[in-house]
Formats: sequence, structure tokens, C-alpha cells
Amino acid sequence: MLLADDLALDAPDGRPLFSGLHLSLEPGANLLVLGPGGCGKSQLLRALAGTLPPRSGRVRVGGVDLWPGEGALALAGRVRLGFVFAQGGLLSNQTLRDNVTLPLRFGGMSAGEAVGRAERALSRFGLGAVAGFRPHAVSAGARKLASYARVAALEPDLVILDDPLEGVESGDRAEVLDLIQAWAADPARTLVLALEDPGPFAGLPARRLHLAPGGLSPSDPEQP
Amino acid sequence: MGFLASLGAPVRRFLVFLGDQAHLVLQTLRYALTLRLDQLPVVGAQARLQIRFTGLDALLLTCGTALLLGGVTLIQAFSQLSGLGAENYIGLLMVLIIFRELGPLLTAVLVIGRSATAIAAELGTMQLNGEVDALAAHGVNPYQYLLLPRWLGVLVSVFALVVFFDASALVGGFLVARLKHGVTLGFFMDSVRDALMNRDLAATLLKVALFSGAIAFHACHYGLGIRRSQTEIPQAVTKTVVSALVAVFLLDGLVTAFFYF
Repeated sequence: MLLADDLALDAPDGRPLFSGLHLSLEPGANLLVLGPGGCGKSQLLRALAGTLPPRSGRVRVGGVDLWPGEGALALAGRVRLGFVFAQGGLLSNQTLRDNVTLPLRFGGMSAGEAVGRAERALSRFGLGAVAGFRPHAVSAGARKLASYARVAALEPDLVILDDPLEGVESGDRAEVLDLIQAWAADPARTLVLALEDPGPFAGLPARRLHLAPGGLSPSDPEQP
Repeated sequence: MGFLASLGAPVRRFLVFLGDQAHLVLQTLRYALTLRLDQLPVVGAQARLQIRFTGLDALLLTCGTALLLGGVTLIQAFSQLSGLGAENYIGLLMVLIIFRELGPLLTAVLVIGRSATAIAAELGTMQLNGEVDALAAHGVNPYQYLLLPRWLGVLVSVFALVVFFDASALVGGFLVARLKHGVTLGFFMDSVRDALMNRDLAATLLKVALFSGAIAFHACHYGLGIRRSQTEIPQAVTKTVVSALVAVFLLDGLVTAFFYF
């Protein structure tokens, strides 16, 4: 499902983060990317999702070349990808409902079916009452949950979560953890998570990739 | 070497800018051709929003400006040419000054001031918030969802605004001609119709197409070029205004030279 070959990434300020990363994940496999802040976890996830071109190397998702290539645009209609960003990512000029609906509509789903699926996904996280609000009108926690709802409604083949519990309020953690556990257990879904330390995901059946600051060249991730 | 480098750097920057613009236009056209029927309502809704903001919301401002301009043009013409039978040249003056030049040009300037700035700031904010990346990651092509509807919206709006600008300027000109010389509506319209040629319409249509492309893609280029911080947004807006104005004046000169030189 996911292949990275001889990948090298730079930080936004041009500082080299790492090089020579090789990564291969089968469909249904899970990967935990671990490391302290600033070591390039988010950059790696963005490169794997096709939204950030690497300095060099190759990324392939579901048999589709992202880099070198046109990144995530190449996945449209071929591989469904869901990405929960550490912060942001919701369209600020659209309601939460429209944010969840948009990828479904663009993927070819009818308006009625997309709205129904969006309502169910938002209700799962207790966001039914604020589905008509724009992101700035709800709390940061609700925005994070709406990001999860968008991914859950999309039912993606590849799920990428950057700092999955960042901004999630304590009362909502159980629901989010349940969803992530379900994704991890699904043999048809590949899951990639990035976080500083495993914490509640320590028992997750996943391979682990440790990144460290200072231009480390990570080897193939260890098996669980 | 230093002198040569100082000469070459701006040329190189300009060529890179032209390359980026060409890439944006070609990619948008390419992805426009791959739009599926079921995606049209989503893209169409975005284009309608752009038309409402760029066209409908600017209608009163455009018509008011044109009404005054049409009147002022004929007041000045009459003040200078009153002894030379200026009323016989009403139509020619309106066509030469308003239809051929000021209509498309001032409409473009108004759209740059109102909409190009807004598009650049909006796309810049979306870029900083990770919204553009999120769209791409979730299968929503930003060329189809962000650039194409803005381009189409600006194109339709500029065309409609030029039509309303010209019509309002005619009304302003007629009011002055009527009050000053008692010119009848029939005489006024006949005079304008006689002065109008097919190539005036062709030149106006070409200007509308080129101006709207320049406005939309300059705004998208500078907006999407924002990468690091909020402080880049006002810089991008300023660059959009200056760059789009230069492009519009340049294109206006080229089209005018092509049709009338």
C-alpha cells in the first residue's frame, strides 16, 4: 500500500531532516512514527500523503507514484486517503457538514448520500448540533473531531494521523481511541500515526519508525 | 560579474514568474478538461459565489463610476469643442474613449482592487491553515475546486461588468448631451451605433478574456505562494495589485495596437 524509497526530507527552513528512508507497508499494516518535536514527523506524513515534495526519493501509494510526480493529485479516483492534521485543515469558509461532505461529493457520491454519511459521522462525535457552524464558531476540540469525522465518512484505504490526540478534549478521547483501534484492526485499511511517544498506542499492533533530530538516516522500521 | 548578475537576477525572476503563471494556467485547463459531470455542481457552486462577490456586489460601484465618467467625458468634450459642433461627434467620442479603452480598463482596475486582493488574501490564508493541502489529500483537486471557479467567476463577472460599465457610461453621456445641447435619445444612439465597429466588439471581448485571466491567475499565484506566516499576506496582496495592474495595462496596449495601430 505504501512504499518510500531512499526518501530525503528538508525542514521548511531548508535544514536537512533525514535521508535514505526506506519504508514498505502492506495493505492493512500499521505504522507508528515516533520522535521528539522538530525531527520531521509531520513533514514525513505530508510527503507520504503527497502534499509535500521530498528533497529526493520516491513515494508510492496503492501502486500510484506520488513522488516524483504530482503528489496527492495523482491519487484522485484511485486511492482514498484520509489525513487528520495536528492542527487546521478544515475549510474555514464552509460549515462542518460541508467540510465532511466535500470530499465525498468530489469523489462522485450523490448529495443526499454524502449529507447522510456526513451527519452520521458528525453525530458519532456529538457534533450534530453544530454541523451547520463554520470551524471558527466551534471549539478547537470540536474542530479536531470534525477532522476525524471527515476521515471516518470518507472510509479511506490509507489513514494518516498527525499527533492524533492533540487538541482532543478528555471527554472525547475514548471515542477517538475506539475509532483509531478500529482502523488499526481493519485488514483493509493501512494506518500511519505520528506522535512523540506511544502513550495510549503502546499496545497497538504496529511497526515503529523512530526519528531523531540531527539528520538521522533511519533504517527499515522495526517489526512489532 | 556582479554587474551582470544584478542585470540578470530580475530577468531570471521575471522568467520564473512567467513560467509559474503558464504552469498555473495549463494545469487549470488540463484539470478542467478532466472534470466529471458529478463534480460540476460543486465547482459550479464555487463559481457562483465568485460571480456574486466579483460581479454582483461590484455592480453598483461600477455603474456609478461609469455614469459619472460618461457624463464627465462629454462635459470635457463640449467645453473644448463647443465651437466645432461637438454634438456631431458624441457617438465617436463615446466609442473611442469609453467602449474601446476606459470600459474594459477601469472595470479591470475595479476588479483588481476589490476581488484580486480578496482572492490573494483568501488563498494565502487557506494555504497557511493547511486547507489547500487538506483538499488535495482528501481527493479534492485544488486546481478544480479553487482555481477554476475563481477564473470562471472573474471571467463572467468582468464581462458582465464591462457591459454594465459601457451602458452606464452611455446613460451618463446622454444625460449631459441632453441637458447641454438638448440631444434626443434617437440621435444619441444613432451616433453611437454609427461609430461602433465589429472590431470594437472583438477587441473588447479579447480584453475581457485576457484581463480576467491575468487578474485571476496573478491573485492565485501570489496567494498560493504564501508559505510561512501571516505577515506574507499583505505583501502578497500588494504584489497582486501591482503585478495585475502592470499586466492589464500591458495587455491593453498590445490588444489596442493589434486592432487599431
